[in-house]
Amino acid sequence: MGYLKEVFASRELLANLTLREVRGQYKRTIFGQLWSLANPLAAMVVYTFVFSFIFRIQPDAGDPSGLNVFALWLLCGLLPWTFFSNVINSGMGSLLINAGLVQKVYFSRIVLPLSYVGSIGFNWLFEMAVLVIALSIAGAFVLPWIPLMLLTMVILAIFATGVALMLSVANVHFRDTQYFVSILLQIWMYLTPIVYPIKLVATQSDEIGGLFGSNITLLDVYQINPMERFVSVFRQMLYDNRWPDPNDYLTIVIWALVSLVVGVLVFRRSEKGLAELL
Amino acid sequence: MTDQKLAVRVDDISKRFRLYKERNQTLKATVMRGRRSVHEDFWALRDVSFDVPEGSTFGLIGSNGSGKSTLLKCLAKIYYPEKGSITPYGKVAALLEVGSGFHPELSGRENIFLNGSILGMSRKEILSKYDEIVEFSGVSEFIDQPVKNYSSGMYVRLGFSIAIHVDPQILVVDEVLAVGDAEFQDKCRRKFSEFRDKGRTVILVSHSMEMVREMCDHAAWLNKGQLVASGEADPTIQAYLDSLGEAGEREGGHGGQAA
Repeated sequence: MGYLKEVFASRELLANLTLREVRGQYKRTIFGQLWSLANPLAAMVVYTFVFSFIFRIQPDAGDPSGLNVFALWLLCGLLPWTFFSNVINSGMGSLLINAGLVQKVYFSRIVLPLSYVGSIGFNWLFEMAVLVIALSIAGAFVLPWIPLMLLTMVILAIFATGVALMLSVANVHFRDTQYFVSILLQIWMYLTPIVYPIKLVATQSDEIGGLFGSNITLLDVYQINPMERFVSVFRQMLYDNRWPDPNDYLTIVIWALVSLVVGVLVFRRSEKGLAELL
Repeated sequence: MTDQKLAVRVDDISKRFRLYKERNQTLKATVMRGRRSVHEDFWALRDVSFDVPEGSTFGLIGSNGSGKSTLLKCLAKIYYPEKGSITPYGKVAALLEVGSGFHPELSGRENIFLNGSILGMSRKEILSKYDEIVEFSGVSEFIDQPVKNYSSGMYVRLGFSIAIHVDPQILVVDEVLAVGDAEFQDKCRRKFSEFRDKGRTVILVSHSMEMVREMCDHAAWLNKGQLVASGEADPTIQAYLDSLGEAGEREGGHGGQAA
């Protein structure tokens, strides 16, 4: 509890560090904040071309929204994923990048990774706003789902924060972490139904049947991946415009809490030694 | 000294660093060598105890590698001692570097708020001291320019000005006083005596015996991580200088001059 108080007391510092990232990031660029849209848009174009036009992947039309646009369907999963993966990458390196600060000033160190969650979250909010507008233009009735979408964004941010906290400490001890994790994230992305619908996995899974003579199917193993649930919840809300499956929702909340608790505990345990290790 | 109120009590602290012969900073090394890494213990501070009386200006003196900076970092809560404890009676602010966390692309104004909050000031506090900070730094003309365009003197002056306005009960200062031109240094000195007049405590590390003699009323002398003497400034400084005179030609000559 004392720790939470300390973190809470540093909220102004957190806000200022977040602002530093947000303001500093696109300084002296002509397009400014628009650049944060460039990456997801480029990815959207590439994936749509490869997976929709060439591979002919066809996700089910939105139910009940009736949407049938691959690019929008893709973005509903891709934007949460890029947020997650950016938070992991930046949060993980946050202590190393700010080593000078850690070695010279005392403050609650946890604000460093958190400030990156904040600044990347800010960009994500901007991207999601654009997506909501695009979905509305395409005919989805997405506006009533915005409050729930914001809540889910917070839950994903909590999940990502926990993972980033753990990895930021690991990265101070072993600098290999950052390289290893960037590969892992690539694999993880393709293990998550972002560019293809999960029904393709389900089909394969049905063909194979129970693994090693048990009842466990490939799909069950596949669905352990927490990001699979997150992506599915976002799609149910934004693309299908229906209530997310309560089980799915409960699962992501549990994942987020577990990740945050473990992350904070790990971080807190090594926080004091950071200045020496850097 | 015991009947006086204390600002900081340093109680029997020891700080160890591990000197790694081969450091397990890669996974490969860890896996190959198991969990053990090859290291030697180095005690940068050993069983150091002293009291800093409230309202004093306290100097830490000693040769290079005597553990002054380590002690200062322990006081600043950047390092944590392996043994013993440091008890501050009041809010501590440390000034080990000026301009910590400045973002080069942001303006002086934005950096005042950023740096101020890193040093532990609230937004309200910064707002109320904003004019003073700018005034003291002498960069008011350029306050809306990005700090990367500042000259190095302007940069440190702004950083120092923010730090000195944190206004803690106990200020811990590394050798950052030597920033800016003579005029600015003079300003800093006045600010420090103002500080002392308000009954605040300053703990500073310096190699310049003249400065310590001029500013400090108490001092502690460290040698190779151990406390040799502490107490009133003049006798402690004298003892330190005398030891340098005995110790050798090179440094002794220097010390003799300063004395």
